[in-house]
Formats: sequence, C-alpha cells, structure tokens
Amino acid sequence: MSKPLPAASGHFRRSYADEFRLIETRFARIWATVFTLCLLAFPFLASPFYVDLATQVFLTSIGALALMLLTGIAGQISLGHAGLIAAGAFTAGILFKEFSLPFWVTVPAAAVTGALLGLIFGLPSLRLRGLYLAVSTFALHFVVVYLGGEYETRRGFSTGILVDPPKIFGWEIYAPRTWYLVLLAAAGIALLVCINLMRARSGRAWRAIHSNETVAEALGIGIARYKLLAFVISSSMTAVAGALFAYYRGFVSIEAFSMYLTIQYVAMIIIGGMGSLLGAILGATFVTLFPYLIEGLMSALPGADRLAGSVFAVNYAAFGIVMILFLVFEPQGLVGIWRRLRDYFQLWPFRYRPVGTKS
Amino acid sequence: MTGTTTGRYEELRRNTAPSLLCELARTSPDDTAYRSKSLGIYRERRWKDYAEAVARVAAAFERLGVVAGDRVAIMGDPCEEWMICDLGAQSLGAITYGIYPTASLDEVEYQMRDGGASVFVAEDQEYVDKILALADRLEKLRDIVVIDATALFAYDDPRLKVYGDLVAAETAGQDWLEQKTTKLDPAAPAFIVYTSGTTGAPKGAVVSHGKHLAATYNIVVHYPMLTEREQRAVVFLPLCHVLGRDIAVTLPMISRLVPHFGEDIEDIGTTIFEVAPTILFTVPRYLQKWASQILIGISNTTGLKRGAYDLALRIARKRAEARWNGELAGPAFSAAWAAVFRPILNKLGFDKLELVISGGAPLPTETATLWQIYGVNVVEMYGQTETAGGIVAGQPGPFSRPGTVGTVPESWEVRLAEDGEIQVNSPDLFDGYWNNPDATARSFTEDCWLRTGDIGEWVDGSLRLIDRARDFIVTSGGKTISPAYVENALRASPYLSEVVVFGHGRKYLTALIEVDYGMAADWARANDVGYSGFTNLAENPALRQMIRDEIARCNEALARVEQIKDFRILHKELDPEEEGEPVTPTRKVKRNLMYEKFGHLVDEMYDDREDRMVAAAVGSG
Repeated sequence: MSKPLPAASGHFRRSYADEFRLIETRFARIWATVFTLCLLAFPFLASPFYVDLATQVFLTSIGALALMLLTGIAGQISLGHAGLIAAGAFTAGILFKEFSLPFWVTVPAAAVTGALLGLIFGLPSLRLRGLYLAVSTFALHFVVVYLGGEYETRRGFSTGILVDPPKIFGWEIYAPRTWYLVLLAAAGIALLVCINLMRARSGRAWRAIHSNETVAEALGIGIARYKLLAFVISSSMTAVAGALFAYYRGFVSIEAFSMYLTIQYVAMIIIGGMGSLLGAILGATFVTLFPYLIEGLMSALPGADRLAGSVFAVNYAAFGIVMILFLVFEPQGLVGIWRRLRDYFQLWPFRYRPVGTKS
Repeated sequence: MTGTTTGRYEELRRNTAPSLLCELARTSPDDTAYRSKSLGIYRERRWKDYAEAVARVAAAFERLGVVAGDRVAIMGDPCEEWMICDLGAQSLGAITYGIYPTASLDEVEYQMRDGGASVFVAEDQEYVDKILALADRLEKLRDIVVIDATALFAYDDPRLKVYGDLVAAETAGQDWLEQKTTKLDPAAPAFIVYTSGTTGAPKGAVVSHGKHLAATYNIVVHYPMLTEREQRAVVFLPLCHVLGRDIAVTLPMISRLVPHFGEDIEDIGTTIFEVAPTILFTVPRYLQKWASQILIGISNTTGLKRGAYDLALRIARKRAEARWNGELAGPAFSAAWAAVFRPILNKLGFDKLELVISGGAPLPTETATLWQIYGVNVVEMYGQTETAGGIVAGQPGPFSRPGTVGTVPESWEVRLAEDGEIQVNSPDLFDGYWNNPDATARSFTEDCWLRTGDIGEWVDGSLRLIDRARDFIVTSGGKTISPAYVENALRASPYLSEVVVFGHGRKYLTALIEVDYGMAADWARANDVGYSGFTNLAENPALRQMIRDEIARCNEALARVEQIKDFRILHKELDPEEEGEPVTPTRKVKRNLMYEKFGHLVDEMYDDREDRMVAAAVGSG
C-alpha cells in the first residue's frame, strides 16, 4: 500500500526518507506544535483533579491501542484484556514486593510475562475464530485473576500489594505533574510504535488477515506467525500498561481487574472506531471521562443529594445506552465523526474531490 | 533593446543544445537540471548526471552506426529518456524528430518514410508493436531502441535493443561528450517537427541548432521571471511538439526553469498537485478541462459552500475587471481568495502558480477570464512550429486582458500584409520543410518574411488573432465571418467541448457540436435524465433542449449574422487516436475532414424540404 498524497499541494517526496515523515504539510506542522505545547502546558495550568484525569487517559490509551492492534486491526477478538493488565500489574507488584527489584527491571519483566501469556493464549486463534476465540481468551482472565487472588491470600496481602513510587535516575516519580509527563511520554511512545507497526509489513499482514484469511494466505502471508505476533505485541503492551498502572496507583489488588474492565476496553475501541489508532485514543478518552461527566451532570440536577446513591447504577445504564447508540448510529465511532468533520473542511469548497488527484 | 540581450541572442545562435549542456555540466554541475518521478520519488538530476546520461546514449548511438545527418525518430510520452535520447542523437549531429504518442499506424508510417529514420526509439512495448507492424516495409530503419522493456519478454526481433543494456555497456563521460559537441555546426539541422497540420499531410519543419536556441530565448526575454529565480514546471505536453521541447529541453538550459516529469502521463493531475508548479505552459484544452472539473465540483457541492463560492466569484469578477484597468487589489478580494479560491487551486496544485502561458491554439476569452477571476495569471502567447521554438507574440502579464495574444518580443518583427496576414521577420526561423521545397517557398514572402497563414489585427499595440486565412466563411448574404471567433464564443458553455461552425455560401451559420461527456453526464444525473452511454445521451431530447438553451445564451454575445441558427450533436466523441478522425493530436479540428465525415448532418440543417412538406400537409389538411 503506497502512502496517500499529502493533504496540500507542493510537497513532493524526493527520497524514501520523505515518505516516512509523519508530518508533511505546513498546516499539519503548525497544529502538531500547538497541540504538543498545549499538552505540555496542561499540568501547570489545570487543577490536580484534571491532571489526574488526563493521566488516566494516557494510561488507558496504551491499553486501548494494544487492544486496537489485536482486535480492530488484526481482527482477533479478545476478552482477556483485564487479565493481561492484571498480569502486568501483579508481575511488577510481586517482583517489587518479593525481590525489591527496581522500576526498570519490573516493567520489562511485565512485558515478557505479557508476551508469554499472549503466545499461549494466542494459540487457540490458529484454530478458532470469532465468538469461539473470544470465549477461549476468557480463560486467560480467570486464570490470572485466580492466580492473583491465591497469591494475595497465601502471602497475607488480602487487601492488596503496596508499591513504592518508582525511581528513574534517582528521581522519584510521585508528584501528579511528574506522572502526567511520564505517562504522556509512555503513551506517545506506544502510539509511535503502533504507527510504525501499522505502516510496516506487520500492519499490512494484519489488515489482510482481518479482511480475509484465505486470501491473505494466498498472498504469502504466514497466518500463524502474524496472528501470534499480534497477540504477543498486544499482550506485551497491555502488560506494560498494567505495570505502569500498579506504580501510578501505588497499590495492586485483584479486585480492580473485573470483567467490567475488559468490557470497558472493548467499548473504547468500538466507540472510538474500529481499525483506527486515533479511534483507540478517542475511545480511551471518552470512556475514561464518561463516568465523571455523568457524575457532573447528576450533581447539577435539582435534588442532587438524593440521587447520590444511584450514581453507579445510572453510570452503568448510561454507558450501556451510549454503546448501543454508537453501534446503531455511528458504527465508525468517534473517528468517523472526526473524519467527516475533517473532510468537510479539507474538501472546502467542494463536497468530494472533483479535480486532479484521488487520495 | 539592451546590449546584453542582443549579445545573448547572437551567442546562442552560435551554440548548440548539446554543447550548452556540457557548458552547464562544467559551470554548475550540482545544480538541479530536472526532477523525474520514479517509484514514487522525485529523483533529482543534476547537470553533470544529465550530461553523463546524454554522453552514454550518444556513445551507444554511435556504436549503432548513427552518424551526422542521420535521422532518429522518438515515439512516446514525455519522460527523461526521451530528451536524453534526443540530445544524445543531436550530439552526433543526427537529426531527431518525435512522433506523436497518439499517432495512428498510417501517420507513423508516413513520418518514418518521410523522415527516413535509421533508429527508432520507442518508449515502451506499445510503440514497439506499432513500429514492428511497419518495420519490414521501412528500408532505412536499422534499429529499434526500447526505453521501458517491461513487457518485452516474448519479442525476439533482432532489431530490438534495450535502452538500459545499451547505456550500461558505455563508459563515455562528460569529456567525451564535449569533444563530440565542439564538432557540431550550429547552423546544421538539429531536429524536425512535424506540424499536426489541419490540412493535408503533415509537413516536417526543419530547425537548426543555433536558431532554435536563439528563437526560444525570445520567450526568456519576453518573460524575465524565468531567469529571476528557480521556477518549477511540469512536463506533460508531447515533446515532439515544439512547445513541449521548449519546456523540457531548451528553456531549462537558458533560464532557471526546472522541469518535473511525472510517473506516467495519465497521472498528470497527481504530478501537478505534488509539484505545485510556479509556471505552467499548457494548451487551452487543459485549461478548459480543469475549469470544467472545478465547475462540476461546485455545482455538486452543498448549499453553504456554493454560497461562499458565488459570493467570492462576485467579488473576484469585479476585481478582475478593475485589474485590467490597472487598479490594485482590495482586502475583499484577498479574503475571497484565501477563503475560496486558494483551497480550490490547492486541490489542483495551482496555488503557487505565478504564470500560466497558453499556446498552441486560441484560448477562449471566457476560459482565460475565469482563471483570472480565480486569481491565476493566465496569459496567451502565439507561436508556430515555423518560428523554431520562439513566439511571435505573447501577453506580458500580469493579468493581461484576454482577447489578444499580446506584444511582439524584443528584436522580432511582425507586420500585417494587405489581406491582414501576420508575417514575421527574424534571423531565427525554421530552415524549411523536410523534402518539400515547394512548401518552403510558399511559406516565405519575396522579402523573406515568414507567412503565418493567420489573419490578425493590431489592438492598442497588441496583436489579435482573427482566424486562419483559409477558414473564413463568406455567407450567401456576402458577410465574411471568422468561424474561430464564433466557435470560441460558443465554447464558453462548459457543456460544449468542441464546436465547428459551417455556413460558407449558405444563408446562415450552423454548428456541429461535441458535448463534454463529463459535464453532460453530470447534468443528466442532476436532472434525472437516464442514459446508458455517450451516444444515448447525445440523442436525448432533454439534453438537446439544454444545449439549445446554452447556444441561445452564447448567441447573445454575437452579432446577428454570426449567430448559430441550428446545430447537430455528434453521436460519438472525437478521438485523435482513431484513423481518419477529423481532429489532430493537439485537438485542433480539421475542418474539411469534419465536413467530409459529418457533411450529411450539416446539409440536413440547410435542407428545408421537410418544412415545405409539413407546410404543404398543414395547408392541405
């Protein structure tokens, strides 16, 4: 697949290095700079509550990107996402608690654990598809939750494992602002990794497998290899997100990794827009902020005090309704809305591209 | 006239394109000569790379036995190898000529016989097939060089040579080329250009090295922006045409024009979009086509967007008129340009254009005006193959009022004969027609001025073209009418892509019309008119009515005797690639062939028997 043409005229590529540039037009460069500056200035302008919200968004974005690679792009449905996050969090927690290992050992170890789990639970995907595969990945969730729970009770951490703030080059990461910047960087790296995977051979292979396995195989794509690769990379990224989560919260407990968490992640990629990395980030943002939005709305209603007890119930219900509404009215998700908006202005004053080139 | 300009003319007259290339490779070896897109990347070619490539091809041609005076024919779409082969052959003193990529088998045979080429360069397998069908009948043809040998695995003709193999075997470099080019005689023939000729068989205009360079330099003198800074241009006109050669080969050597070659001529839209040229040389047909694409797009857009466009157009139209009267731009136009026209132009890659020069055929005033309203500096120039690459006149711009072809470049002379024929005098004209001394003699006056065959007049110091001398229509009422004037007035309608007016010796004027399929199909969709193809649509009564209204609208701009009283729509699109079609590769209509082919339609329009029969029937009933 050749790269689409730049959005504006006059940007001709003189070498293959030009093809790799993520930002080609002046318009894109200006907006990317403005956006980056806003992100960097945010923790110094906003209140700690909002900084924490943004940090959560970055953290969930990593998990959502990982799931998007596996499900949205390679087409392999997985319901073991919460289990993988738990596996990452517990790996980091146990290695810290039992062996007092530092941050820069526990996080890679979590990645390895994730990769191994991905390899094992990816194997059924070679035989199973769709719903059957989904059910088999379910097993992952229960195995991890069971093992985690056993560890907690046997070692006497039944309320959870406490994890000290990590130290990087002697710097203790504790302040919300520091966490914001660290996780922003982590999410940025995860996004770059995903973008590069997508435009490399692996991304093309995954999309081919998603569209039609038989045809992909006929094209010479090693189905088994690329399916397992998708599982390994996705699981490994997810486990890293879990380990970061453990450090960020400073606390690991198996209660946090319920089935509802898996459903939230699946919701992120559906609401965000299947098959799009931008969709994963938009979905992660939406799903993370949604409960706070509902809460805010309810407290603004008259007689807010009496409703306080039903916030959780309303939250779940509203979440379900939003999911259904998206599936019915906007199957392309938030990214579909974004694309329509962008096209409206990019095609201005035309409705479709009538002249010159097709992009 | 400035002294330096005169000096440069004389200097170029004593030079040749291949030795100019050597000079550039020596003085500015690392400057970009041109860029050529291959496998998605615009490859930079420096002057020294260019000279080296030409040296190798020249050495390969020498090995094939090409000597001074031999002819080398090249057929294919514009590409870097085309001009490298051309200059390579010229370096040996051989005479090159290009054959239109769309030429039919008969035309190829005629030009191969008339030119007597010993080497035929084919761009790809398509042209190999064409030449192989004739090769056994062409005694002089020895070798066929194929540039793109992708589809040649099943060919075993011994005459076939692959360009890449030939070049790879050579080691000649810049020094070798320099030795060769110093032996060239600037007054010797360099190339032949076959005029597409709207009448009779094509004639090969022979142009010599020095005169071509000097003549082309008059474009540089007339448009000094060509030397002020680097200008990007896109090559898409056929290189066998003298204008195409100017843009790709000659102007880059004598100005700061950098030509860009696309991956494929079919991708011309993409190429222009990517390159965003600062200067565009084109023929009117492209300007018309792009304008009608924009108009289709606007007619299909949403209400708000169309409203914005209409508003911007109103502002810009006033501005265009004010500009012709020498007034400056106001903020309203700048806002309209930034909000509406710039986004439109950007989608075509037109937003960086500083100058658009239209030549080769008359540019309809409406088309030029529309582009000027959009803020594109479209000017018209007038030249002929016989002026050896130079121009007879050109609107200097910026934003010259459309309708004339502008002023005469420095050190060239133009006069009007008694019958209005435009005649040109310059030391740098073509040498004569190949193998055709009679035609050569006919094209010059007794005092050696070139007879252009075009009728013109002076309007405030600018030349205005009226028509080809032989095309004038004299109606039975005795009125002399220029069909080109009427046709251009009608072509203002975006639905008419070609109009040919008839009426010589008749009571009134009629027209044959080729509808613009894209625009007409779009109109049909918008108005719920069902159709299954071109012919079906052309026969549709609703379309006929729409065309009738369009013509009625255009008629308003014409004097009474010039108005079209009846018309017929052609049932097929004119295709220059087809044998015996009344249209040349540059889409000039061959009027007499048109009548030969579609005369029955024309006669029908003057036939009043039916009317009389009907009248009689009504009367008797």
